[in-house]
Amino acid sequence: MIPQQPVYLEDKVDEIRQSGRLDYRSQALPTWCPGCGYYSVTEGLANALNDLQIEKENTVVVSGIGCASRFPFFMDTYGFHTLHGRALPVATGIKVANEKLTVVAIGGDGDGFAIGGGHIPHAARRNVDITYILFDNGIYGLTKGQVSPTSAIGFKTSTSPFENRDAPLNPLLMLLSYGASWVGQTYAGWPHHLAGLVQQALEHPGFSYLHVLSPCVTFDKTDRTYQNLDLTVRELDSDHDSSDLALAMQAASDTRSPALGLYYTSQRETLGQALDQVALRAGAGG
Amino acid sequence: MAYDTDIQISICGSAGDGTIAVGDIFKRAMAHIGYRVIAFDQYPAEIRGFGKCIARTRVATSRVYSMKGYSDVLVSLNDLHAIPHVGEVRNYGALIYDSAPMSAVAEGAHISGHLKPGHIPYALPMREVSELATGANRSRNFVALGFVAGLYQLPQDAFHHAIAAKFESKAAAVTKSALAAFDSGFEAGAASYQFDDVRIDAPRGRKSTHEARMMTGNGAIVQGCLDAGIETFFGYPITPATGIMEHLAVEMPRHGGRLVQTEDEIAAISAAIGAGYAGSRAATATSGPGLSLMTEMMGLGVMAEVPVVIFVSQRGGPSTGLPTKTEQSDLNLAVWGGHGDARRIVLAPTNVEGCRRCAGRAFEIAEQFQVPVIVLVDLYLSNRYETVFLQDENEFLPKNWKPATTPGAGYRRYELTTDGVSPRCIPGEAGGIHTATGLEHDEYGNPSDNSGTHSLMTQKRHEKLQAAIKHPGINFTKRFGDSGKVEVGLLTWGSSFGEALEAMLLAQQEGIRCAAMKVVMLSPFPVRSVLRFYKDCQQILVPELNYTGQFAKLLTSEIALPVTRISHATGAPLDVANLVEAIRRAARKHRRRHNAA
Ligand SMILES: Cc1ncc(C[n+]2csc(CCOP(=O)(O)OP(=O)(O)O)c2C)c(N)n1
Ligand code: SF4
Repeated sequence: MIPQQPVYLEDKVDEIRQSGRLDYRSQALPTWCPGCGYYSVTEGLANALNDLQIEKENTVVVSGIGCASRFPFFMDTYGFHTLHGRALPVATGIKVANEKLTVVAIGGDGDGFAIGGGHIPHAARRNVDITYILFDNGIYGLTKGQVSPTSAIGFKTSTSPFENRDAPLNPLLMLLSYGASWVGQTYAGWPHHLAGLVQQALEHPGFSYLHVLSPCVTFDKTDRTYQNLDLTVRELDSDHDSSDLALAMQAASDTRSPALGLYYTSQRETLGQALDQVALRAGAGG
Repeated sequence: MAYDTDIQISICGSAGDGTIAVGDIFKRAMAHIGYRVIAFDQYPAEIRGFGKCIARTRVATSRVYSMKGYSDVLVSLNDLHAIPHVGEVRNYGALIYDSAPMSAVAEGAHISGHLKPGHIPYALPMREVSELATGANRSRNFVALGFVAGLYQLPQDAFHHAIAAKFESKAAAVTKSALAAFDSGFEAGAASYQFDDVRIDAPRGRKSTHEARMMTGNGAIVQGCLDAGIETFFGYPITPATGIMEHLAVEMPRHGGRLVQTEDEIAAISAAIGAGYAGSRAATATSGPGLSLMTEMMGLGVMAEVPVVIFVSQRGGPSTGLPTKTEQSDLNLAVWGGHGDARRIVLAPTNVEGCRRCAGRAFEIAEQFQVPVIVLVDLYLSNRYETVFLQDENEFLPKNWKPATTPGAGYRRYELTTDGVSPRCIPGEAGGIHTATGLEHDEYGNPSDNSGTHSLMTQKRHEKLQAAIKHPGINFTKRFGDSGKVEVGLLTWGSSFGEALEAMLLAQQEGIRCAAMKVVMLSPFPVRSVLRFYKDCQQILVPELNYTGQFAKLLTSEIALPVTRISHATGAPLDVANLVEAIRRAARKHRRRHNAA
């Protein structure tokens, strides 16, 4: 699409400065490779926090280990860069300790679904009021290109030199069956779509899971590339009913042409509310 | 003549006989009367079936420090289980058993055939008495309890009180039949002849102004947590630490605290560290297998300088090991476990009152030094009851993590200060924004692999802990026994210190000059006071409950001097008599050398 009016760089820079969203960005320059899908989230999250007027000192970004997990360093909010696979339980502890905080957990597919796979169902079923943004590049980026639990069959990596034969997981189906109360999918190549969904995820009271399809431009030249994703992704059907779990599961089963958008959302008691109920039953203060 | 009462009564039966229940009533009644009580129950490893239960209670007029290695009285509610324990009854000790058991017994299966000459037998038709008193045979345990109380002329009302309290939440009929059975047993006991070899004299002296309470080590840990104002707890069940979480699950919500049972121990410590990072008084509790899983995350706590308290109750290992037996074999893991130079603080209380104190102080220390603190106990200490006299419940310092300098522009979370402790801010505080990380980092918290930064930061993380040895309100070492130069010194830690102290007292009575020191802080190690003790002793014995001498090795690595190890790994506490023998041998050796010189 060719813009009708020319856009001048100075105007754009001024506009960004004035928006206030730069306040959420730290001085540190991201260490990601040029072109990495992860750049989209710094922008997306800063925008969403800014639009929702969430104070940066009341925001904590928690991550595991991996390229994606480097994210907290690039934000001027509180951050906790934890251990490989442990972002969710640490985030849970932070939220239980202080319900006033907005807690965002971030990580890669290996971090979330390999080493940290045991924690996801429990964060989801407890409905911890946090947002989990998982960047799925189908590969281990930080350790320089090994196969991941979401790598496609036939994918060649340094540890699957004769092609991967392990069937990939379907993260959306898993999260839906774990009882996550908000499940959405977006794509790093659609930054505006991503920013919109990040905002919705933050607004959701309860556990929100945002799956981000994101190319690793350095270690994947064949499979989950911008070119391939641009061709296959599509928006969820316009008549998709996000309160219908069965429909959401059906949509999530189509992995050939990944649909982007809000799959499922529902409202139920969060972990914090449940703990308040426990206190009431125990006769707190009495 | 003044007579010091010090007797141990063991009640042995099978699961379902109500053995532990009457043991519990016995110790509570005795504590109420004013005795010093210490008790340790043994449960079967299996949940179902008819496994062996033993309720051992030691009752004394002055303070005692461990269980005795023998019993003065053995009550059998099940002969099959009790027969192997006849040998633990001392000469002229009493055996109380059912003279008319349920069914015909095979030859050799009745306990009467196993008594030793010198044992005083009391054959009591428990089943019949129970049936007469209550119309059912189920109250044999209360008949036996009543018999003991009657025989030794103990105040009946203290027992009535304890029985009523035990069944407070049950139907009135339950209390009624228990009381009826108890009273019939009491009558029978009072009518029996009491040999003077076993006597329980009335407690002497002033009663403490504080109320005596019966408490286990785990119960005392919970009390310490509550007194220190614990805010969040995350745990995963494992014997023998589960009781801590179960008890906190009841108490914390009443006191504004929050408790979550996590999916595993990794999640438990992760969430506790998350909560600690967010400024909460946070803790978790586990045993060896769980601690193994926690080591990586503890390292993050050390690196990111996050306060958190980890209660560890050891059981027999390695692997799943002996879940229902005691051992002190996780010292290495607690002090050194995990990768990298990751020193943390490890406290090991030696008795039930110490469990409360260490638990409360652990929160203060964790916050003051911004570091994980492990409180290391074992099954024997977790589960044993002692009479405790609780002091001031407000003795622990309130939460105090306020930064020393005002945060704002240029705030350095990991500032290199003279004492190594940096100003800490928590989420919610404007001007304190930073990212905590497990990567090596500079003063601002930014990742750095600069070698100078790494050595400075490593030094900071270690040196800041040295001041913990001076933390007020807790004795990190304590010496008992003869002062000055002694022939034999016992140096030990944790639950084993009770047996060591008992052995020392007995050896002193034999004219051996000896002393004992407990080491409560295992990391960082209180080298100076231990060295001072070492220099006063001609021989140093280090008894502990493990095979490899983990404490002895820690000791020798810290003070670089030889010690004599007494390592014992059977799953049971140390045997006091064996320890006394070891002291005698060491004293003889010393005297021989002394005379030769
Ligand atoms: C316990 C542990 N095991 C292994 C590693 C090494 N490691 C670091 S990141 C990573 C995988 C990263 O892949 P992913 O989570 O998909 O994130 P990405 O780098 O692709 O963003 C691994 C295996 C580690 N840091 N800790
Ligand atoms: S290695 Fe891949 S995932 Fe990591 S920063 Fe580079 S492009 Fe992104």
